[in-house]
Amino acid sequence: MWRVALVSVVILTAWGGLVVRLGQLHFGDNSALHERIRTTRSFQQDIRVGRGRILDRNGNLLALDLVLQNVVVSPDVIATNRAAQAVSARLAAVLGRPYEQVMGRVNRPWRKYEVIERKVKDDVVEQVERLHLPGVWFEPVSTRHYPQNELACHVIGFVNFEDVGSGGIEQSWNSRLKGRAGMRVSEKDGQRHEIYTRRKLQVAPREGANVHLTLDQNVQYFTERALEAAMTNFHPEAAWAIVQEVRTGAILAMASRPAYDPNTFNTFEAQDRMNRAVSYNYEPGSAFKIGVVAAAINEGVVATNDLFDCEKGLWHYGGRPLRDYHAYDTLDVTGILRKSSNIGAAKIAVMLGEPQLYRYLKDYGLGRRTGIGVPGEEGGILNPVNRWHTIDITRIAMGHSVAVTALQMLGIMSCIGNDGFRMRPYLVQRVVDKDGNVLQETQPEALARPITERTAALMRQMLSEVTGPDGTGRKAAVPGYTVAGKTGTAEKIDANGRYIRHANISSFVGMLPVERPEVAIIVVLDNPQPIRTGGQTAAPVFREIAEPVIRYLDLGPVGESEQLYYQRVLAGEP
Amino acid sequence: MRASAVLIWVVGGLCLFGMVMLYSTSGPQGEKLFGDPNYFTQRQMLWLLAGLAAATFGARMDYRRWLKLAWPIFGVTLVLLALVYVPGIGRNIKGSHRWIRLPAGLTFQPSELAKFATICLMASWYGTRRRQRAGFKGGLLIPGLLLASMLGLIVFETDFGATILIGATGGGMMFVAGAPIVYLLGTGVLGGAGLAWMISQNRQRMGRIMAFMDPEKYAQDEAYQLLNAIYAFVAGGIGGVGLGQSLQKQHYLPEAHTDFIFAIIGEELGIPGSLGVALLFVAFFFCGLRISGRAADPGGRLMAFGITLLVSLQATLNIAVVTGCLPTKGLPLPFISFGGTSLVVVLFMVGVLVNIAHQGADRPVTRRRRKAAA
Repeated sequence: MWRVALVSVVILTAWGGLVVRLGQLHFGDNSALHERIRTTRSFQQDIRVGRGRILDRNGNLLALDLVLQNVVVSPDVIATNRAAQAVSARLAAVLGRPYEQVMGRVNRPWRKYEVIERKVKDDVVEQVERLHLPGVWFEPVSTRHYPQNELACHVIGFVNFEDVGSGGIEQSWNSRLKGRAGMRVSEKDGQRHEIYTRRKLQVAPREGANVHLTLDQNVQYFTERALEAAMTNFHPEAAWAIVQEVRTGAILAMASRPAYDPNTFNTFEAQDRMNRAVSYNYEPGSAFKIGVVAAAINEGVVATNDLFDCEKGLWHYGGRPLRDYHAYDTLDVTGILRKSSNIGAAKIAVMLGEPQLYRYLKDYGLGRRTGIGVPGEEGGILNPVNRWHTIDITRIAMGHSVAVTALQMLGIMSCIGNDGFRMRPYLVQRVVDKDGNVLQETQPEALARPITERTAALMRQMLSEVTGPDGTGRKAAVPGYTVAGKTGTAEKIDANGRYIRHANISSFVGMLPVERPEVAIIVVLDNPQPIRTGGQTAAPVFREIAEPVIRYLDLGPVGESEQLYYQRVLAGEP
Repeated sequence: MRASAVLIWVVGGLCLFGMVMLYSTSGPQGEKLFGDPNYFTQRQMLWLLAGLAAATFGARMDYRRWLKLAWPIFGVTLVLLALVYVPGIGRNIKGSHRWIRLPAGLTFQPSELAKFATICLMASWYGTRRRQRAGFKGGLLIPGLLLASMLGLIVFETDFGATILIGATGGGMMFVAGAPIVYLLGTGVLGGAGLAWMISQNRQRMGRIMAFMDPEKYAQDEAYQLLNAIYAFVAGGIGGVGLGQSLQKQHYLPEAHTDFIFAIIGEELGIPGSLGVALLFVAFFFCGLRISGRAADPGGRLMAFGITLLVSLQATLNIAVVTGCLPTKGLPLPFISFGGTSLVVVLFMVGVLVNIAHQGADRPVTRRRRKAAA
């Protein structure tokens, strides 16, 4: 029986040992192991949310998040299958990449994860899937996509590789668009899936909000098409244009050339990405006369039919000569605008006086940003009146010694169109969260009323002659409507502040219909060649925009009562 | 209380507790593989019913019949062990030929039958014609060769766990039956050396050994299972994380519902759970020894000892593996781990043990009561 006893002792000894071992595991000081178990099992995760969309005023998509796929390989799996060369060769063929480059990634047997190609579209995914390669899989990634490519690129902007808006609305409304990532602290199982019952903390994410712009995709298209044509026809270095709703100040279109595709923003130069419509200060030239004349009429200094001696094209003021492009004898105020006489405008400005002119220019909003809410906006240059030289008032009258952005110049025109009310220009109609709650809505806002209703009506009547048969802007005329507008041709200034001969900034700013203006449009061409004047270059571009826009907006003919009202205002009847 | 009654309580307790723990541990795996967290539990319940039937059968049948049938059983087992290599009949899982296909998608593991066959053969050999069974030839050489033939077939299935278990059980029985110690030791050393050589030729097994030696180095590969088993005990601490609350069973610990179920018991129920199971097995061992000591004849005594030793050794080896004391082998924890053949065979052997008890010194107690009742 001793043999049984011996076997028993052996077994029981083993059990004793196991009990000791169990005690060690259960009781022992295992704080390091506890810590390791805790850190490997628990995880903290950001809950990413999609970026909001950017839409035009009719809900057309201008920017949205798309899910694309990364092509990923597991080199360790491929190595187990001994398929590194075959996989690399076939992947390289489908993805159109050099074999060596793919092989360099695939042939790393110690790695579990290598990205071969980023953000491929569904057709490529299908092609790769059809190959049935071992260890090749896809990983969804969210990508910003701009379905209209270049359309309104300067307004929309783009999102950089860190998912931060870096231009246009994408930048200035980044915080609304991107939402707020949520967070989750929980534990995961051996397959790295969350164990829901062990969730410790969950901070709900806030989805990015949608930004609805005031832009109209179609108006934007007409505008950009016209600019494209202008680039071809007049060979300017750059061209930009804005279409604004006169009554509200809302921007219907804002375009600039050269342009870029925000889907591939990194392949373009910084100067392609410049939104010149708000970021380029230029001397407006003759177009600026509308502001000066409106101020003089509003002050009662001049009347529309007051005659001015235009000195046969050469007038000395402050010891400096002032020239007209064409020489004129005598012109009334309407004629000064129609023929764009520098001497006439200068005389009107001198009659008005420096302080008054300065006050009006401030009221037009010059010299400071409009705050339209896109990055890189400039505010123009308007020196305080105490720093004006003697001759400055005559230069400002013809749109020199002062700089504006196209948006500011358009603002003066819209002010005249809107019975003297200057409206705040805006691009964002409203911001709506994912549940449809309106977070923010822009209401039209009158900022100032520099001129009276009657001054505005008189100005419109005079400016409508600019597009008449012998006006400088006759090429801007739109059949069926009366267009009020003004050309501008200013000598371009080089980097040192000197005027460049034979290089102009040529522009046309106008609105229609004149009796009750609905849209105001400005077109600016930077150094068109060989034809250089605003009347010959920018004016026809204006018409190319205005014609389809007015048809698209379906503005009926001006009603009889409105006609009548306009006539009564012109006549000064209350 | 009679030893057989205690035995039945102990085994019943282990089976019921095992079912509860299987329900707890197999959920994630069943969900993943079959989309049904109850898949393994339901199967095991059916197997438990079959096991109860087998145990009843074993308890009703006179154990001496098994001893008389020892040779045919042995022969059939050898044939079945060979069949696992036949394509279409045998089934290969992870490179091991251990299973035979049965209809209805079931499988059968002949090495489980081999356990019983070996015990029968040893008990039968040493239990009859005892005078011839002493000495070198009858006491060592012939039974040793018989055992070796069985082990040889199992070892080539690459089932080293079963080989060691059956070898140790057979060797233990030979030792208790009175085989010469020196020769037995020598044979054991030779067999162990042979096994060691085979293991060194097998990359997977060698990896397990290396992992056992240096778990941290192979933490992501061979030692992953071992480390996660140890994590389970540590995470459980003294009181355990609570029934059903195990984190390790959530796909961290492979085979959480089969060979490594003991680790989850330790994690969920802590010291009371793991030591409780261990104590139940110790109780089983003592019951078995008592039944063996009071058996009616030498064959029964040896058979009871063999069964007791087998179950105890299997539990010991399993727990030793799970706690990181031995390299991974692939032995289930009797009564508790998921596995049909294993459960049915072990319950059948418990039935035989009960039968031995009833025919031995335990029996008069019953008779006396019956007489008193009459």
